[in-house]
Amino acid sequence: MTYVELQATSHFSFLRGVSSPEELFSAAALLGYPALGITDRNTVGGLVRALVAADQTGVRLVAGCRLDLMDSSSLLVWPEDLAGWSRLTRLLTLGKSRAEPKKGEKGQCFLHWEDVAAWSDGLVAALVTDSADSATEAALAQTADIFGNRAHATLGFRRRPGDKLRLHRLDQMARRHGVRSLAAGDILYDSPDKRMLQDVVTAIRHKCTIDELGFRRERYADRHLKSVSEMERRFADYPDAIRASADIAERCTFSLREISYQYPDEIVMFGRSPQEALERITRELVDGVVPQGSPPKPYRELLERELRLVAQWGYAPYFLTVNSIVAYARSQGILCQGRGSAANSMICYVLGITSIDPILHGLLFERFLSESRKEPPDIDVDFEHDRREEVIQWIYETYGHSHAALTAVVSRYRTRGAVREVGKALGLPEDVTGALTGQIWGWSNEGVQDRHVDELNLDRSDPRLALTLDLARQLIGTPRHLSQHPGGFVLTRDRLDNLVPVEPAAMENRRVIEWEKDDIEELKIMKVDVLGVGMLGCMRRAFDLLAEHKGVRLGLASDEMQKDDPLVYDMICKADTIGVFQIESRAQMSMLPRLRPKTFFDIVIQVAIVRPGPIQGDMVHPYLRRREGKEKPEYPKPELKAVLEKTLGVPLFQEQAMKVAIVGAGFTPTEADALRRSMATFKFTGGVSRFRDKMIDGMIGRGYSADFAERTFKQIEGFGSYGFPESHAASFAKIAYASCWMKFHHPELFCAALLNSQPMGFYQPSQLVQDAQAHGVEVRPVCINASRWDCTIEEKSSPRFHGEDILPLRLGLRMVRGLSNDHAARILAARGVAPFTGIADVWLRSAVPIAALEKIADADGFACFGIDRRQALWQLRGLGSTPLPLFAFADAREEGREAAVALAPLTEACEVVEDYRTLQLSLRAHPLSFLRPDLDGMHILRCGDLARAKDGAKVKVAGVVLIRQRPGAGNVTFITIEDETGIANTILWQRKFEAQRRIVMTAAMIVVHGTLQREGEVIHIIADRLEDHTPLLRSLGDRRFPHRYARCDGANQGGADPRDKLRLKARNFH
Amino acid sequence: MGIRSGMALAQARLVVRGLDVRDSDPTGDSAFLQALGLFAARRWTPRAAPSDPAGLWLDLSGVAHLFGGEQAMARRILRFCARLGFTARIAVAGTAGAAHALARYGSRPVVLCPSGGEAEALAPLPVSALRLDQDVLGAARRLGIETIGELTAMPRPPLARRFGKTLLHRLDQALSRAAEPFDPLIPEEPPKASLRLAEPIATAEAIEQVIGDLMTMLVSTLEKEGLGARRLTLLCDRVDGEEQRIGIGTARASRDRVHLIRLLSAQVEKIEPGFGIEAMHLVAGRFEPLGPQPVESELGGSTPDPDLAPLVDRLAGRLGTRRIFRMSALESDVPERSVCRVPPLQEVEGWPSRWPRPPRLLSPPERLDNVFALLPDRPPNRFTWRGRLHRVRRGDGPERIYGEWWKHGGEAEAVRDYFQVEDEEGARFWLYRRGDGSDGRTGDLSWWLHGVFG
Repeated sequence: MTYVELQATSHFSFLRGVSSPEELFSAAALLGYPALGITDRNTVGGLVRALVAADQTGVRLVAGCRLDLMDSSSLLVWPEDLAGWSRLTRLLTLGKSRAEPKKGEKGQCFLHWEDVAAWSDGLVAALVTDSADSATEAALAQTADIFGNRAHATLGFRRRPGDKLRLHRLDQMARRHGVRSLAAGDILYDSPDKRMLQDVVTAIRHKCTIDELGFRRERYADRHLKSVSEMERRFADYPDAIRASADIAERCTFSLREISYQYPDEIVMFGRSPQEALERITRELVDGVVPQGSPPKPYRELLERELRLVAQWGYAPYFLTVNSIVAYARSQGILCQGRGSAANSMICYVLGITSIDPILHGLLFERFLSESRKEPPDIDVDFEHDRREEVIQWIYETYGHSHAALTAVVSRYRTRGAVREVGKALGLPEDVTGALTGQIWGWSNEGVQDRHVDELNLDRSDPRLALTLDLARQLIGTPRHLSQHPGGFVLTRDRLDNLVPVEPAAMENRRVIEWEKDDIEELKIMKVDVLGVGMLGCMRRAFDLLAEHKGVRLGLASDEMQKDDPLVYDMICKADTIGVFQIESRAQMSMLPRLRPKTFFDIVIQVAIVRPGPIQGDMVHPYLRRREGKEKPEYPKPELKAVLEKTLGVPLFQEQAMKVAIVGAGFTPTEADALRRSMATFKFTGGVSRFRDKMIDGMIGRGYSADFAERTFKQIEGFGSYGFPESHAASFAKIAYASCWMKFHHPELFCAALLNSQPMGFYQPSQLVQDAQAHGVEVRPVCINASRWDCTIEEKSSPRFHGEDILPLRLGLRMVRGLSNDHAARILAARGVAPFTGIADVWLRSAVPIAALEKIADADGFACFGIDRRQALWQLRGLGSTPLPLFAFADAREEGREAAVALAPLTEACEVVEDYRTLQLSLRAHPLSFLRPDLDGMHILRCGDLARAKDGAKVKVAGVVLIRQRPGAGNVTFITIEDETGIANTILWQRKFEAQRRIVMTAAMIVVHGTLQREGEVIHIIADRLEDHTPLLRSLGDRRFPHRYARCDGANQGGADPRDKLRLKARNFH
Repeated sequence: MGIRSGMALAQARLVVRGLDVRDSDPTGDSAFLQALGLFAARRWTPRAAPSDPAGLWLDLSGVAHLFGGEQAMARRILRFCARLGFTARIAVAGTAGAAHALARYGSRPVVLCPSGGEAEALAPLPVSALRLDQDVLGAARRLGIETIGELTAMPRPPLARRFGKTLLHRLDQALSRAAEPFDPLIPEEPPKASLRLAEPIATAEAIEQVIGDLMTMLVSTLEKEGLGARRLTLLCDRVDGEEQRIGIGTARASRDRVHLIRLLSAQVEKIEPGFGIEAMHLVAGRFEPLGPQPVESELGGSTPDPDLAPLVDRLAGRLGTRRIFRMSALESDVPERSVCRVPPLQEVEGWPSRWPRPPRLLSPPERLDNVFALLPDRPPNRFTWRGRLHRVRRGDGPERIYGEWWKHGGEAEAVRDYFQVEDEEGARFWLYRRGDGSDGRTGDLSWWLHGVFG
């Protein structure tokens, strides 16, 4: 009989435990435990991670949970079998359903003894005891009553006075109630070194500093995992309590792997099995997808092969479920498209879930489903971002709240959050932690580096600062709370809460399970990703406009979107891709003229190649060299050629990495899949490095050179950060091509759709509008008598472009900062009767508050009455605030007679600044055009003149900073600046970046000194030195220039910039 | 240096290396301004008032000639401020509003605005010189109205409609078209009683007699003003021109004549009368509001808690205020850090009784020799303290106390294991071992006695 630790808290007891399940299990393995029980507080969220750790270390997991009841007693429970587990999850679901997220009770669990009694079967329980007082006695009686011979009481050393006496009394008391004593360690961390971190998270939990924490600290000592022999020595007086722990471990053999998942039933065809239904539907539809002129045979054959596999594993219901979701979306006119590995499947293509023809593109079904992997397929479907909610609500209605829930996302501390919280707990002033986090680029996980501290002139030897940095580094990766996955749905036939606890999410009517995507994948539970993509909504708007104004009805599946249009590719090759899907980022745009896409597959590669994965794996340059014909593809063995031929010998897609491992290094398909999985889930397992030896040895064993093996592994390891499967890239490329087509043929519709879909994409409205203007679109200003809420297309066109009429674009009232949709609707309703004749007329007839009209005046929306924004404001202010229409009307009449007042007109520069402030863009001029005389004096080139400068020339350019991006490993920073003639792209190498970090991070306008580098049509400036000219920009208006970085700007990820309250949420910069 | 007000501190730090940063202290600033105003009211003009966080108004009506005219007076005040370490700007004008505007936005440190010349002087100044709310200023700016001159040139009714009355009212005040009330500071003197003596006195009895008379006068003043004294100073003018002073303090505001006399009398012996004292002054240097005291009802059943304040005052008078205090608990597991001193009349926190500790601690703890104890967690069998061997009969422990790592770097790993032991004679000791008995980093395993149970 050896002792088993059954009471260990992992960091999934948020801000209580500080050790990950992995750390606890490796410590347990070292200390000789045969099994380890994880009991987190009212949650089983960490158990799947613990299960994986248990498998890796060989220490068995005893799944359990600590229930903190409302009367402040605590029970440890361990399910004996699957039925017991289901009762536990139902119990937790019940407790959590009582929490109201609106009252700030999110994640809490309210349980009483009666609830425990109702769900106690199949659970072994132990009361957590403190002192032998009457409250403990009462709780002991309850425990004995409910659990009978499964009841225990914990005995644990506290290292406080009177410990032995206390344990003796507790043991006696337990005996009196017929409850068995159980030795338990009440573990909070795996090793004694974590004690400081534990104190810090306690302070964070209590929102106070460590100095104020006082007795709220964990005062019971020795909370680390101790060796088996040490525990047996300590409990020498209570041998039965040690035996009890071993007995429980033996009794509770339930493993999470026993959870068996059932697909929900689809009511498709009465009297048919799901497999029969699926076969029938797909066979009926397959001929419809065969392109004209192609033989239908390969399509039918592939379909039959897939159907056989689906039948073999019983996945038919899954396809039917996804099919019903997609069918619903179609019926509502919501654009959607499958992505991810599903795009490899003929069934999905036939059902219309995906729009990639797998035969045409030669995609591998094995990546989606294989005979060797018993693992549910994964179908992700993108929907229009702003209508996704309709789909989600339909899913809840159709499948029921007890059968459908979202997967969770565990938010973990990243560098910024960790430094901020630890700094606060250690009492550092907020401006110091703020400055420290300001030095962190985006969502870094590296911790604050010494150079960051030195840069701020802070003293690294200051003990509190040093402690903060050290503890913050330790805190990185610790979960802080559970939030909902944006769209990962888990659907089941039986009650979902029999499998996993379900809790209400912060959003109303949403429920979330306790496990993450990787967890449910580990347990082979099916999920459907219902994701939102802004561009789909934008494309739907564009298609609608196209039908309305040009009478052309198109959709994503139309022939125009399938055929390669050379003119569109010409535009793409010129990197003229602002606003389109995926290939609009700086890094993408700099690659386009070199890759020169000519076919759809080139766009697929383009989407996949400009990712941190391939960049880190150094795949980009070999590929480009080979494509340009400067280098021959290298295939040491014919079997590799088969795998890598279409990407010129460079693995660019996840499938290829898998195949290389299989054919090159002798991996089994299962191992290759484990490799793929570790490439995807970088945050848990430390990347793919543990496959390194196996891979390299395998390749050398098969006759590859060590150098080649090493290089191949490094490439594959690059996927560790991010890499696309080919089918996923193809799905994205489809949308990318469609948006490029729209941008090329109908730039005004595309721009209007983009503006109406904001916020989305990488660029600010200002750049989108400038780009549209550059493509010959006449953009008309916001006007009280012409604008609708959305940006609209107006009749009559003057310029001609590509032989097609380009219609003018009218900015909508939605562009006016701070104007509510409701007020705009009232204005539009009043305008519907008759056009407005003057400001007083607008006010009287629309009856919106003057404050709302002032916003339109600030945006210069009354220009149609022949008055500028100052005059409009003057008139509006004169309307007074009397609510009586009669008097108001009389007042307004008087207004007409009021002595005319001459207001100083705004200077043109001020008008532009005001435009930017209220509309985020100006149709008048670029702010830099007013500074040009100053800039000319400094011999600064216009961005537009760079095209005429020579390669290698030393140049100086000035501009407003639009975008700062650091792709991948971060040894290069892209900075995009803009002046009145266009944009310039500068590249800052890491060495220079460090020296000028402050300017990069804070400046709104810079002058770049550097060397011009020309590669074909792409021009970059390799920056040598930056100058901060923000004050010059500020001197423009009478107030500060309302500068904004573009939406894709990477430097401010993860924390709002205190200087700019208006900043929009930027998107991931990868 | 490139630092502006409103700049983020972190950014300012980036701009200037080694920037010396201090917290702003609005209360302190306003107290100082108040004091400066009082000084001005005593020294320069009877009518002075603080104007905003950084300004003073002085009413010069009829006083400027005393200082050689407005110009000379302004220069003198500037010099005075410079000696205090301030840069100041002064404007003299016919209205408070105009002076306010010119002092802040005028072109020179001293601006003298001739009477009636306000409109002309103010015209080029920005509208913000007019003491207006931010939203009025914002609206004016959006309409492009920048200077006071532009404002005066505009017709009044439209302005009133758009900006409300404040704007025109402030404008009128500045241009002396509307009156503005003035609320001067009034210097406050501490309550005081003085007696000049017909004959110089030198004996303690005589001095006490005079103290009694002075106290009667002072207490009646205090009563009238609703004040109580926290500190009294007795000043004795000797015939030889020397001054003798004694002082007392009270723990709570008091105007109890008998109590205060008793406190002062205890100090009388410190006075050296020399050749005799010819005048005595009693000043309440620190005083607080003190309402009328209720007369205690003798009919009431319960006796109120005895008032400790007089006792505390007497003890403090004898021992010194710093020697009288109470002990209160602090939330710390480290025994020597779990107590703090608080003023004698303050409420105290008690110690939790769950884990008993000795009532007195040895400070510093004393090293024990010849300790025999089993590692890792058994109490010692015997130990030698101050040369005497104690054999332990019973023991409990360990109570594990971790170092408070956030206070000192050296405490990060430190552990003390405390034991409560009883020797053969029944004496109980509280001793500890440095280190947890298994990990060498936590302490050197030496033994110390930290306290004795009574």
